[in-house]
Amino acid sequence: MLYPADLKYSKTHEWVDVVSGVATVGISDFAQDALGDVVFVNLPAVGDEVVAGESFGDVESVKAVSDLICPVTGVVCAVNEELDDAPENLNKDPYGAWIIKVKDITDEEELLDAAAYEAFCAEEG
Amino acid sequence: MSELKRTPLYDAHVAAGATMVDFGGWEMPIQYPEGIVAEHLYDRKHCGIFDVSHMGRLIVEGPDRLAFLQKVLSSNAAALVPGRAQYCMIPDETGGAVDDAYLYMFTEDNYMVVVNASNTDKDLQHFAKYLPDYDCTITNITDTYSSIAVQGPDSERILKELSGSDFLTGPKKNDLNELTMEGRTVRISKTGYTGDPIGWELFIDAKEVVWLWNRLIELGAKPTALGARDTLRLEAGLPLYGHELGTDHAGAEIPIFAVSLAKFAVSFAEEKGDFVGKELLLAQKEGGTPRKVFPIALKDRGVMRAGMDVYRNGEHVGWITSGTMVPYYNFDADGNILDTTGKRAIGFAYLSGDVTKEDVLEVDVRGKKLKACVVSRHMRQDLPPFGKAIL
Repeated sequence: MLYPADLKYSKTHEWVDVVSGVATVGISDFAQDALGDVVFVNLPAVGDEVVAGESFGDVESVKAVSDLICPVTGVVCAVNEELDDAPENLNKDPYGAWIIKVKDITDEEELLDAAAYEAFCAEEG
Repeated sequence: MSELKRTPLYDAHVAAGATMVDFGGWEMPIQYPEGIVAEHLYDRKHCGIFDVSHMGRLIVEGPDRLAFLQKVLSSNAAALVPGRAQYCMIPDETGGAVDDAYLYMFTEDNYMVVVNASNTDKDLQHFAKYLPDYDCTITNITDTYSSIAVQGPDSERILKELSGSDFLTGPKKNDLNELTMEGRTVRISKTGYTGDPIGWELFIDAKEVVWLWNRLIELGAKPTALGARDTLRLEAGLPLYGHELGTDHAGAEIPIFAVSLAKFAVSFAEEKGDFVGKELLLAQKEGGTPRKVFPIALKDRGVMRAGMDVYRNGEHVGWITSGTMVPYYNFDADGNILDTTGKRAIGFAYLSGDVTKEDVLEVDVRGKKLKACVVSRHMRQDLPPFGKAIL
């Protein structure tokens, strides 16, 4: 299980990478492993407002559907449309396959660093 | 909560890295590390093996065994001869199903009934109501006699190699036989729950089942868990008790004839005589049922799940009973299987009986109305060796 040190993580298993005021958001290795085969990603549109702690879409595996929870409040400025045709990229490369980018960030959830997130995942089993 | 039961293959599942879940009181694998999609596809193109030892295996024996089975099962057990099996329902007194089951006649002197794992205790309690009137006994051999399903195109080669026999069973679905595999006695049935045109189910002494599992893997089969078992049966259009049989989303009993397989599972033959629920089932057959179980395909992008509401022209017409995204192999124009794959959102729905294939349906997928339609079937099973998706 990978926990890249340069990312921050939410307790709902999204990762976030804030560079120059833009947050790139995806799901963690732990999340994709727990979900199993991802078969569909319900993405927001560019321009949608997203709110920290609230759903910005969902991800469907063969087994079940799970909400994607946004770690920051802001406006969606890019969506990874490759996931429409290749949702399995979330399994193959969870830290390469970003889901959305968010700008105009005004708020963020309590985020964990890699070590704290790894400990959190170990507790969740 | 009582402790979960385990099959003799539990350690093999854990050693293979399976994710284990509570399935009807049994600690069973939901998937192995490669995942449900890979397991599904390997079964369709090569060979999947399934630990089905959790299913209830009951031996019915004694002078009145046939009369008893005729009373409590929906099929005409008198039509069975040694070496044949049949699909049946266990009807209740109100026209619904206690369970669905398979009845096997391997030998002249007894029958084996195989039932859903989570229903085994309930089925036994139901049978106990009728048993005192008959001179026969039911013995639950689930813990001492195990079962592995061997499904998919390569299953024939693998089982011929293992048995050293060119003859496995007769060519027809539900043909049975007994073989010796490297010194072990194995009963074999040309049945399955995947829709694969080629596939068998094996029965073996519980003490030998780990050996059988490992030998099947050595010969090219891959362990396939409950997740893929569900996507395979869904693609094959086979009902699952608790979804397409039992009670509906509103808690009402689903009549047996709401399921199209009922016409193969229920017999009103004269020699069968009276049986549990007969009058109600006859009325369902002749008068139809208000709702029916249909295979359904989603046209818009998304995934249907059990319990979602279905509408036609804004009117609520029923619910999704099973649904997920299922992978498939592409075929070329000559019918050769390719390496490329796709996936599609399919399922079953329990809908008003007047719904037709021409109707544009809408499924409420978490607040979004997505277009869907009922279909005749999701897959062709008449082109061996491969099951072929109908897109």
